[in-house]
Amino acid sequence: MVESTNLEQIKIGKLRLIMLMKNIKQALEASVIAGEEILDTSFEHVYASDLMSDVLAFGKPNSILLTGLATQQAVISAHMAEFKGVVFVRGKLPKDGSRNFAINHQLVLLSSSMDMYDACIKIDSALHKRTKIKTTGSKESRNEEMVLCQEFEILGDDFTSAGVVSTEIKSILKKIGFDPKLIRRVAISTYEAELNVVMHANRAKVILSVTPYCIEVIVDDAGKGIPDIDLALQAGYTTATDEMRAMGFGSGMGLPNIKKNTDQLQIQSEVGKGTRLECKFFI
Amino acid sequence: MTLEQLCNKIDLKKMSQFTDKEINGVFVSDMISDVMAGAKSGNLWLTVQTHKSIVPAANLVDVSAVIITSGKQVPPETIELASKHDIAILSTDLPTFEIVGKLYAIGIQDS
Amino acid sequence: MSQNNHEWEMTNIQFGFIVYEKCYQTNELRTFFSIEDNPILGDRYREGRKHWTRMENAQSFRFDLKCKKTGELVKFNDLMGLMYCTGCLPDCELDKLRLQYEAANTMVIVAFGFFPESLEKHIPPKKLGILTDYFNQRRNSRRSRIKVLPFNLIKDLSKCRGEFLHDVNMLTKEPPAPRRKPLFE
Repeated sequence: MVESTNLEQIKIGKLRLIMLMKNIKQALEASVIAGEEILDTSFEHVYASDLMSDVLAFGKPNSILLTGLATQQAVISAHMAEFKGVVFVRGKLPKDGSRNFAINHQLVLLSSSMDMYDACIKIDSALHKRTKIKTTGSKESRNEEMVLCQEFEILGDDFTSAGVVSTEIKSILKKIGFDPKLIRRVAISTYEAELNVVMHANRAKVILSVTPYCIEVIVDDAGKGIPDIDLALQAGYTTATDEMRAMGFGSGMGLPNIKKNTDQLQIQSEVGKGTRLECKFFI
Repeated sequence: MTLEQLCNKIDLKKMSQFTDKEINGVFVSDMISDVMAGAKSGNLWLTVQTHKSIVPAANLVDVSAVIITSGKQVPPETIELASKHDIAILSTDLPTFEIVGKLYAIGIQDS
Repeated sequence: MSQNNHEWEMTNIQFGFIVYEKCYQTNELRTFFSIEDNPILGDRYREGRKHWTRMENAQSFRFDLKCKKTGELVKFNDLMGLMYCTGCLPDCELDKLRLQYEAANTMVIVAFGFFPESLEKHIPPKKLGILTDYFNQRRNSRRSRIKVLPFNLIKDLSKCRGEFLHDVNMLTKEPPAPRRKPLFE
């Protein structure tokens, strides 16, 4: 069971980089040659090489290969070494044989016009940025190794988009292989927070970070703020409009429900400026 | 930044004898054809290739140094030829992706 | 080194394979540039009295040079590749020149045309001059110069162990051999 192994390794605090193919596509401004429908696949290591004997000898499973070698051997070697995908750099494009092989063997193939150095930097920077976000988190998580950190945006006043971010977060956590009960708590808390943003703020940034010991969801909005946090935490307290309540929202259960589902909740709020929720879930 | 300054900032083993040179960007490839087609004068060339033909290729495109990554053993004939042509061969145990991160962190930009 | 008003840059770069085929009946070698995806080694076929066997696929590229100032385009589709002279043959004309150039801090690079046509029709010296200019113009360092010489100066092609600036062994699953075989053996 791959999933349980993942969880095991997270528990013992081993750093595992988890990024998704689509993150790479975005960071490298790459075009998709094969595997459009499996861009949600995660990978854990990056291997930059044009030498296939090295890929086979030293490549770790669940890696992506960055290479300038646009031949079928590159794709076959990546498959043999249990890689998740191949990114061809310097604008190199593999031919149909490689594409068909990739489709048949569930490999993602991307092509980027960046050179290898640039491509490595972009991926490295994406990771680096993630590590930086970590220091803005609360004290306890600062010295922990970051396994994953991802940022999302919620736009206010749009009920139709409520749930997009929580659904995304849920599917990421599911892929890592966390306990469904834990995922449920995270998903519910995030969804409640998302609804609050949609109702009361213009926009918010959501940061999901996973360390070996803790899942943290930070929701930072630029909204009207909460005048009395203790009051807001009481069940039934609501400032929702009639229109919102007519849609079945705003029953005043949002923050209490978040509190119930998190292991640790911190709320900072300033009227007229915004609210920041830090929800922690211990693994 | 020069090669000497680079070696003071990052742990790189000096394999050949060379005079100090100015670094201008980085080119990462294990293919000689890519290097000949794409590398620029002054680039640091990162590769796992250690065959002695990297030396004439490095000289032809005028790279500032070849950095052999992943702790690959460099054959004495490669080192000898490099020293003869004043080509800097440096070596690191880190794989290519990781040494790129270090180069970028000390401010070596793409050219 | 020629003084001139050109500033050359590489253009029309295309990656592919240099395919080496040999006929064991006549001991002829022929080479061509291929852009196929999946090179096949050991491919055999008959053509009249000749039996061609594919010996090697070396990854390489072809290019043209274009002058940034005048727009002049010089095609190099007749250039099979470049080789570094290792001084392997005694009394080789090329090696003698190499030693002279090296004494003047210049590295000699040998230009090869495709086989068999270039054995008869050499790459024009003017083009090799342009290639020499290109390599020297793009150099920042005063470390050394480059001189491109034609392969027909080599004393005995069948014994030459010069190092081609091609990529071989990129596709194998074995580590590369320490020493290459002479291509024309």
